[in-house]
Amino acid sequence: MTVAELEEHLAPIRHEYADPRSLILPALRYVQGEAGWLPPHAMAAVAEATGFSQAYVESVATFYDRLYIDEVGRYCINVCVTLSCMLRGSDELFEHIADYLGLDGEGTTADGMFTLARVQCIGACDRAPCLQVDSGVQLGPLEPADATCLIDDLRAEPAPARYDR
Amino acid sequence: MADPASSPGGSGAGGETPPVDVVSLTVNGRAIEAPKGTMLVDAAKAAGIEIPIFCYEPRLGAPIGACRMCLVEVEGMRGLQTACSTPVAPDMVVSTESELAKDAQDGVLELLLANHPLDCPVCDKGGECPLQDRTFRFGPGQTRTVEPKLHFPKPLDLSPLVALDRERCIACYRCVRFSQEVAEDGQLTFQERGDHVEIATFSGDPYEGRFTGNTIDLCPVGALTSNPYRFVSRPWDIKNTPSVCAGCSVGCNLEATERDNEVKRLTGRPEPNFAVEEGWICDRGRWGYPALRSDERITGPVLVDAVGRRTVLLDRAVNEAAGMLGRRELRVAVLLGEPITVEAGFLATEFATRAGNGEAMVRRMGIPGHGLDPLRALPGAQMDDLDRADAIVVLGGDPCAQQPVAELRLRKALRRGARVAMAGPRPTALDPSCQVTRTTPGHLQDALPIVAELIGAAERPIVMWDEADLAAEPDAAAALAALIEDHPATRAIELACDVSGPGLRALGVATAEDMLAALEAGEVDVLLTIQADPTTGPEGARWSRAIDGVPRIIEMSTYRSGVTDRADLVLPLLTALEDEGVLVSMTGRAQRLRPAARECADAASAWELLIALTHRLGRPVPDRTPAQAFSRLAAEHAAFAGLDYGELGTTGAVIAQGRGAGAGGPAARRNPAGDGLLVIPCRPVFGDATAHRSDALASVVEPTRVGLAPAEAERLGVRTEARVRITTPHGEAVLPLEVDSRLHEGAAYLFTGDPHAGAAALLPMDGGPVRAAVGVAQREQVEA
Ligand code: SF4
Ligand code: SF4
Ligand code: FES
Ligand code: FES
Repeated sequence: MTVAELEEHLAPIRHEYADPRSLILPALRYVQGEAGWLPPHAMAAVAEATGFSQAYVESVATFYDRLYIDEVGRYCINVCVTLSCMLRGSDELFEHIADYLGLDGEGTTADGMFTLARVQCIGACDRAPCLQVDSGVQLGPLEPADATCLIDDLRAEPAPARYDR
Repeated sequence: MADPASSPGGSGAGGETPPVDVVSLTVNGRAIEAPKGTMLVDAAKAAGIEIPIFCYEPRLGAPIGACRMCLVEVEGMRGLQTACSTPVAPDMVVSTESELAKDAQDGVLELLLANHPLDCPVCDKGGECPLQDRTFRFGPGQTRTVEPKLHFPKPLDLSPLVALDRERCIACYRCVRFSQEVAEDGQLTFQERGDHVEIATFSGDPYEGRFTGNTIDLCPVGALTSNPYRFVSRPWDIKNTPSVCAGCSVGCNLEATERDNEVKRLTGRPEPNFAVEEGWICDRGRWGYPALRSDERITGPVLVDAVGRRTVLLDRAVNEAAGMLGRRELRVAVLLGEPITVEAGFLATEFATRAGNGEAMVRRMGIPGHGLDPLRALPGAQMDDLDRADAIVVLGGDPCAQQPVAELRLRKALRRGARVAMAGPRPTALDPSCQVTRTTPGHLQDALPIVAELIGAAERPIVMWDEADLAAEPDAAAALAALIEDHPATRAIELACDVSGPGLRALGVATAEDMLAALEAGEVDVLLTIQADPTTGPEGARWSRAIDGVPRIIEMSTYRSGVTDRADLVLPLLTALEDEGVLVSMTGRAQRLRPAARECADAASAWELLIALTHRLGRPVPDRTPAQAFSRLAAEHAAFAGLDYGELGTTGAVIAQGRGAGAGGPAARRNPAGDGLLVIPCRPVFGDATAHRSDALASVVEPTRVGLAPAEAERLGVRTEARVRITTPHGEAVLPLEVDSRLHEGAAYLFTGDPHAGAAALLPMDGGPVRAAVGVAQREQVEA
């Protein structure tokens, strides 16, 4: 991703953001969509294209959990562990997925396919326990076996052209 | 802390303040008054009522209300108000002690401490920590928190100079605002959110800049601390002394911390001098003090005679000096370098009538600047006048590198919307932010139309002109002076090149061209150098040869120099941080040094030694202290008329300006000597001798080097060389090469500073233009 490409992408939407600071978020989401995460050079490109300092852009990125400044896998599996899901077995669900992926808790699999994380309420308490893959629809209620199928399916998918996260 | 109300009115341009409306209000049942627009916290403070604060700091811009420490109750307003961002209003009724206000203070402190490690016993800030103080004074006294506290691996180096203990941070934003809004380096920000926020730089890069240490002074807790000062002392073991930085001609006021008779730390003044540095000091000024303990320091008097070379007692050394200077037929020369206080300079002239034949010549190193008299005669300005100027032109030089703290005032002016133009041959750190006119080397006059345009359109313009550049182009100096005279509202600030120049000039001490000629003609029997090493200064090689022919040499110096090994007698001097007396800044401000420590028992002050010498010579001066010498020099020298040593206090006073002692140097432009590229001398303070001697500054010291534009380096066939040979009519040196696309073709930028590199010696004594040949360095030269 070059600065010029990013600027080209931002050109049609720039006018929608009266405060230029607000433009940083769509810019970050766009480069994260391309790279899957926000490597330093991508944040530097956003700084260049929006006219803010690199440090400021990074400070914005770190405010949001779903903007990743550390490399993550092809799919981010976010398991809700807030109250409703917890009462309905999110701990077991999480442990099962971690086991199945060969992870010790949160983290990224060695093959770079999956990053597993605990997240707070994702707004689908009626389907607890649930999880979300990237920004996809919340999936639930899930039995551990459902999660196994889900992971197998994801493994079989071709690599996405853009990351939706 | 900083109080805008205490900012003195301008002593120069636009100092008149319009009448202010006064507002009456009640605080804690007391009727008080304050100028309209004053924040409650300042109004209360002026009336002696303390409202606790953390984030409020007017020098950082408008209040942001980040910490909530200053909550007070205001009748008729819903909830509690932040006193730091609530302006006074007529008939306001405020309580800082009501139950509600007290409860808020308790609550805020309890929450600030919820994740605070309370590791005061191992915290450098402990004992001088606003968080500690306010917790004791306003806090609840005990915590109800039972949850585990947040922990970070500690500490983190933000840079080799600044350490960060993240868990101590109370997220007040002061350091971030300094970085973003004062230094404008854009490097410090918060990352993460909520109780996980931490101060960070982009992807963990080191925090780089010339002013980073100010964040340490600003931090109200022990989150940001000085690495070189880490675990060095507890506040109850130290003594703080207000003094002045002798790093450059700005003359920033600072505070020196002493322990065990050593200077352990320098900080900005807790009560800033708003007419000078506003409480900000540069990192070179802040971390230059380890130079006091460099192995180049001369630690004892040395006598060289028929017996050999040996260390002697100071008293004996002074006797020996008197013996060498006493005979009536001797022709004596006294050469002054820097830093030299005005008292030492004055006593040197007094000494001159008592030593040898009674007609010793006293000269100073520095730029003659014969053509600068008309500029120096113009009405001057103080640094705070820059806050009121609507247009500022910098002509020549590079204040960002040579008078660092001036950069912060210029940035402030830009933020305020003033027009700022930088004109000259050097790229500067301010270029991206202001109007830039890059003149061809040697053609400063090309920028005069810009000056005319800016000052013509402004009501309160200020021109900052560089001593060295305008000395080299006297015609441009004359034209600039004429231009400014045509616009009487304009004030001028000289960007002076050395810290002793303004003071010694006011005493009528001339520069040393004729002394060099006298040495060469064999007309000097005894040479006394005081903090002066002419062998590493302009035309150093010529000085070296001339000095070799002088029968007797006495050196007074803090550090070993090119003179030391040739001297018959060496007397160690104290540094400016250990000395007492007055330095005059580039804006003509006479400010007092106060001794913070005495690191070297066998060293003395120049003024002490000069007084002692007049006694031993049998014709004592009446003075015994710098104060007495000052009162005599003030009576004798018009520039200091009316000034009183005691009344200079801790912030100084402005001397009468306009008198130069311009003897020598070209009064008209002369052709550059030599062949090749025109030399542009650059004197970065971060690359000066002290910066090279201070181990703390190792990570930021600027190398002494040659700078070339890429095309120029290509043409000369040195594009890929690490080091180049540079030759002027005055000598030759092998220096590191820096290729920089911001530099002009057709010029060699000579960055001087390291006394061992021999760079300054390539320049001419008259401060006029010179050309240099730049080429590939021979292998043996590189190895040497
Ligand atoms: S590091 Fe210090 S100055 Fe910076 S936000 Fe934290 S407490 Fe404030
Ligand atoms: S700007 Fe000059 S006087 Fe001020 S702290 Fe830096 S070196 Fe010292
Ligand atoms: S608690 Fe899990 S979705 Fe709301
Ligand atoms: S001092 Fe008022 S909110 Fe921080």
